[in-house]
Amino acid sequence: MSATLVSKSERAYIQASLQTTPPLRADGRSLLDFRTVLLETGVAPLANGSAKLNIGKLAREGGGGTEVLAAVKLEVEDVESGDGVDGGRVACSVTCSPSAYPHLTSNALDDLQHDLTVILQQTIAHPSLHPSNLAIIPGRRAWLLNLDAVILVDSGNVVDALFMAARAALWDTKVPRTRPVAYQAPSVSKNAVKENQDSMDVDQGTSSLDTRDMGRTAADFELPDYWDEGEVLQGRERWPVSVTLNLLPPIHLLDATLTEEASVPLRLHLMFSFPSSAPPTLQSMRLSGPGELDLVYLKSCIADGEKYARGLFTALESKLREEDVRRNAKARDRFAALR
Amino acid sequence: MDLDEDDFDEGVQRITGPGESITSSHAFMRGHGTYVDSEEVIASVSGTVERVNKLITVRAVRSRYNPEVGDLVVGRITEVQPRRWKVDANSRQDAVLMLSSVNLPGGVQRRKLESDELQMRTFFEEGDLLVAEVQAFFSDGAMSLHTRSLRYGKLRNGQLVTVPPILIRRLKSHFVSLPCGVDLILGLNGYIWVSKHVKQHEQEGEEGFDAEAVYSNRNDDIDDATRAAISRVGNIIKLLASHFIPLTDAVLLEAYEWAIEQEGSVKDLLLDEVGENLVSSLGSGMRQ
Repeated sequence: MSATLVSKSERAYIQASLQTTPPLRADGRSLLDFRTVLLETGVAPLANGSAKLNIGKLAREGGGGTEVLAAVKLEVEDVESGDGVDGGRVACSVTCSPSAYPHLTSNALDDLQHDLTVILQQTIAHPSLHPSNLAIIPGRRAWLLNLDAVILVDSGNVVDALFMAARAALWDTKVPRTRPVAYQAPSVSKNAVKENQDSMDVDQGTSSLDTRDMGRTAADFELPDYWDEGEVLQGRERWPVSVTLNLLPPIHLLDATLTEEASVPLRLHLMFSFPSSAPPTLQSMRLSGPGELDLVYLKSCIADGEKYARGLFTALESKLREEDVRRNAKARDRFAALR
Repeated sequence: MDLDEDDFDEGVQRITGPGESITSSHAFMRGHGTYVDSEEVIASVSGTVERVNKLITVRAVRSRYNPEVGDLVVGRITEVQPRRWKVDANSRQDAVLMLSSVNLPGGVQRRKLESDELQMRTFFEEGDLLVAEVQAFFSDGAMSLHTRSLRYGKLRNGQLVTVPPILIRRLKSHFVSLPCGVDLILGLNGYIWVSKHVKQHEQEGEEGFDAEAVYSNRNDDIDDATRAAISRVGNIIKLLASHFIPLTDAVLLEAYEWAIEQEGSVKDLLLDEVGENLVSSLGSGMRQ
């Protein structure tokens, strides 16, 4: 994607090394090995969900490795008069830090940001993945889910890192619980009018009124519990993972470094979703690079890609559940200390 | 803490950190890496304190490469311009390689012609790696390189490893041959070229040097064992750099022998504990 400079002899050396038996990569990994992936959720205190991800960080060094920060912020939108869509909507954006791409001009950086934003937006905001709990009041208010990602360092395989960070941030997202509120004319509830109260009555969703009807007539909403973080996004296990196959027919490699990316003619990005009760689905696919590919080979690549994505998904899932436990324990400790 | 002039004796290196007061601003002038606050010279970076007469500077531990004339550097061509190439050499500005500072085909003494200007990309093109020497500085501080030696020129048959420039010590020779069939070029700018060993007499060539070979983009045939050795040396360098150990030929050789004794595969070196063991095994080589 970004044009890393690499000399002809370096490219030839890398390609020849990859095509020996057994294949050898610059750092000795085998073709399907990932570098170490580090992940932490809940890194941005003001966001509804956030994650920081690093692929291939050097052991003790501060730097090194592809680093992506992703955060989700929820915003209330008016469906009737504003930009809102009934049932909520998802908006993604990707920013590339100029320090990650010092050799790119600002125009080239904008192009790159746009390309990544489009891939993320078209995959994450697809209707098949839309969480059902982004609606607040049907027909009136809905949540706008802003997913923002920043690429802090790029040392290869940025798309996979981006999707992993996005998945972790979405997984971590908590939607505040809301309760609809209606305005009622004083004549309707005479007994509620008292000397120092104005004519508005706050109706409790838990009262004996028909709450199903409530949803339709509600004008606004309130947050029942300020301290409660809320509930997780519905269907959060469906968020896709991306796996990038760097193709150098007849072989392919995963998690390429920048020089390796510059040395292979084609890259195939596959985004898979693994719903718990249904077979995996291929959510989107991108092919980039100057090379060409025939359909039969592409099909075999997709089959292989699904296998790798499954492995990546399983690892990421277990890490995210571990992070949930860690953060819950931390919150409990803090609460205990307050009491 | 105040410093007198005696505190800057030869060979005594003082380490300082950001915010640390170095000396009084009455007696000394502030230089790079320092600032003055309430009549004191204070360090703004961490590094070693240096003094030239009354000028105090702090040389940062982590910084881009500060070139000096005569340094050997490894660089990458970023741009081809009229009569010159721009070279990325990990410095603050791109270095310049003039067409008049390279060896042209057909003899070392040949003058450059107009036709040479038109075919500059046949010598070096964008992305090419080269080894060169710092020749001089321009008025804006950019360095000018030259490759007028048979040992300098385009790089082939290997891979590049990057480390912080401060880890490369000045050595008698920056061309290192390890006995495992691997040649190293330790550029003082932190770029290290790890490649297949080329025998001395093949490298030097004949009287009039062979332009085909010098500006070739084709790699020689490299066997699998050599490729594995190149990768292993590359990983060792990265590992030592992540532990912030200065690189010399002795250290590298010792680390390589240790890695061979362990009989692990090349990628084992990426593991944390293997790295720790390797670093703790380094004894004599480090302290020389």
